[in-house]
Amino acid sequence: MIDEKLVPLLMALADDELVLGYRDSEWTGIAPLLEEDVALSSMAQDEIGHARMFYEMVSGILDKSPDSIALGREPSGFHHCRLVERPRGDWAYSMARQFLYDAADGVRLEMLTRSTHKPLALGVAKVIREEKYHRMHGESWIGKLAHGTDESHRRLEAALLQLWPDLPGFFEPVEGEAELVKAGVLPEPFSALLPRWWQVVEPVLARHGLHGPNLGLNAFSDHSGYGGREGRHSEDFVKLWNEMTLVYGVDPEAVW
Amino acid sequence: MDTTVGDVYEVFRQEEQGDPFRHAGNLLAPDDDLALQYARDLYGRRHESVRLWVVRRAAIMEVKDADLLASQLDRTYREGAGYRITVEKRKALRARVAAERGEAK
Repeated sequence: MIDEKLVPLLMALADDELVLGYRDSEWTGIAPLLEEDVALSSMAQDEIGHARMFYEMVSGILDKSPDSIALGREPSGFHHCRLVERPRGDWAYSMARQFLYDAADGVRLEMLTRSTHKPLALGVAKVIREEKYHRMHGESWIGKLAHGTDESHRRLEAALLQLWPDLPGFFEPVEGEAELVKAGVLPEPFSALLPRWWQVVEPVLARHGLHGPNLGLNAFSDHSGYGGREGRHSEDFVKLWNEMTLVYGVDPEAVW
Repeated sequence: MDTTVGDVYEVFRQEEQGDPFRHAGNLLAPDDDLALQYARDLYGRRHESVRLWVVRRAAIMEVKDADLLASQLDRTYREGAGYRITVEKRKALRARVAAERGEAK
């Protein structure tokens, strides 16, 4: 397998984590309670740490610094799914997104531990140890919001419905996917993960009375939320990109 | 502290395997699960702990009654210091035994 063929996959993995980490970090200082502020900020840093690991793998292939790979791109050069670029919304939206994303990321990481590309399989095994904790956190909040007050339940349901159309986009194929699957770098196509993701999510939603006709695999329309892996993003991301790259853009060579 | 959003939990941490647990501090959390997570973030995310105990403050039983902890009567006879005289007594006994043995010879 030629290493360059790995780049679109690694960039999709890295960009998902970077953008979601950035969105989570927007709660720093304004989370509902101090302890949660520390916890979510710490998780945002974890996500960015995972992104960094993938950017470093790309850096080894393209011989460019991880920073320039991460930040020296136009918005159309980013390959994250649209789910992660949406504004943070209210607390229910951020927690619901975190929960649904972590479940998807969990099945994706599990698959990647079986990759024939050893550095990827080994790196992913480390990430899994931290993601386990993120999943516990998300599940706690789903339960908390579902059984909290009428308002928290209503906001959670609204958040899930709002998130739903973006979810298939997580499983959108990356460039060169068929070849990666053939080489075993990707043990399966991403679309094969969708039912496994639902196996993780469905019992949690059902346990908290969040099961409905509009929240299920059948509620997904084909290719809904697609585009992100090809670099087609919403206006929301362009705003975020301006912010994310502001400091880097002033002096890309600056040493920190 | 605003306790309407949850309960106060006390956190104890062990720095190294085999060390005693020491009180690290406390936190506020909406439920037990989140309390465990916040404990990790506040007292364990920098590799400073190998194990944490997280206890709802309300579950901690307390003894602070002065009648129980600080007796009004003289109890020095129960303390180690009260037995200092035995050192003198033992010395005297040894001397007496030695003297008696000397006489027997």
